[in-house]
Amino acid sequence: MDLIVVFLIICGLIFFTGGAVGILRFPDFYSRLHPAGKLDTGGGLLILVALALFNLHHFSLSTLLTGFKIILIVVFVFLSSPTAIHGIVDAGVRAGLGPWTKKKD
Amino acid sequence: MRIFGIIVVILTGALLIYAMGDFPSWADPASPAHNHVSPRYIEKSLEQTSVPNLVTAVLADYRGYDTMFETAVIFAAGVVCFFLLRIPRKDEPTVRRYRHTLTGITISVKETREIPPVLEEFERIDTLWTPPDLIIKTCCRILVPFLQLFGLYVIAHGHHSPGGGFQGGVILGASMILLAISHDLRTAIGRMSERVHAILCSVGVFIFAGTGALCLVLGLNFLDYGALARILHVDPVTARSHGILIVEIGVGLAVMTAMIWIYNNISSKGKYDEGL
Repeated sequence: MDLIVVFLIICGLIFFTGGAVGILRFPDFYSRLHPAGKLDTGGGLLILVALALFNLHHFSLSTLLTGFKIILIVVFVFLSSPTAIHGIVDAGVRAGLGPWTKKKD
Repeated sequence: MRIFGIIVVILTGALLIYAMGDFPSWADPASPAHNHVSPRYIEKSLEQTSVPNLVTAVLADYRGYDTMFETAVIFAAGVVCFFLLRIPRKDEPTVRRYRHTLTGITISVKETREIPPVLEEFERIDTLWTPPDLIIKTCCRILVPFLQLFGLYVIAHGHHSPGGGFQGGVILGASMILLAISHDLRTAIGRMSERVHAILCSVGVFIFAGTGALCLVLGLNFLDYGALARILHVDPVTARSHGILIVEIGVGLAVMTAMIWIYNNISSKGKYDEGL
């Protein structure tokens, strides 16, 4: 059980590190939003599921309820975070911001 | 003039930094703030109010006056926004735009005071209209009920966990604002009209002050919820817990509607006609 939890948390942290580096290093608005969306959903999913599992060490009704609440957070983050990113990208396209391309000069 | 301003800022800053020297050191148990009231709150609040959450007990019971006027301040903010921004419907000719949903043709209707009958094929659109985004609309429509449920939970569960009227009210208000952002302002106003905002906002403050006045009528001090025991038929300690709940509901109502009210006034520039 502990092994799974540690594995999930480490995977989530790798996700977060990659996402943070991506936000800093990618060249333009759209490509920076890409890791920002992945970071919340992917990294958040792994770490929260790990927390829910860790919480079930002492199996009882209350810990089960807490685990259920954590899973609910995952569900809502999964719904809202990609939607928010989609909305931001959409607004960028409508405002007329073109995607980044390699300059040929 | 600019130099004078900078000098004043620097002097004030230096004064504040100098005064910091007299502060008790960080987390000092012997500091004055921890000697008089804090131990009493920490030790006695559960047996005096039967509320496990200390913060709620202090906020709504021991410091009831403070919270009541905070609610009044929020109400005042909503009213001020209303009076500053709201433009009553005048006789100016307005242009309304309608879009034929089947073909996408937009027509403008000018200089009609009365609203034309609503037709199935035509929808009213804003001047700065952008095509609706199906993903955002659907997701927000799914999320809004859960948000509101969570807001109600936060208000009602403020005794036992972090939360209370202010936080729950903000969540409820944000859910309506989310509806206005993801659809348009008319949809949100169709759910909750301006009159409802104004009435509910004042009702929230009235519930708070009215509970206090009711305690006064029943023979104890203002906002001393122990007096409610006679109405609710419970012992005074439980009555305090119930009194806090009633007051939190009032705070929640006031905060929720004040937020929506301010948002509507700002986003439609006071016209309530079109907005986000």
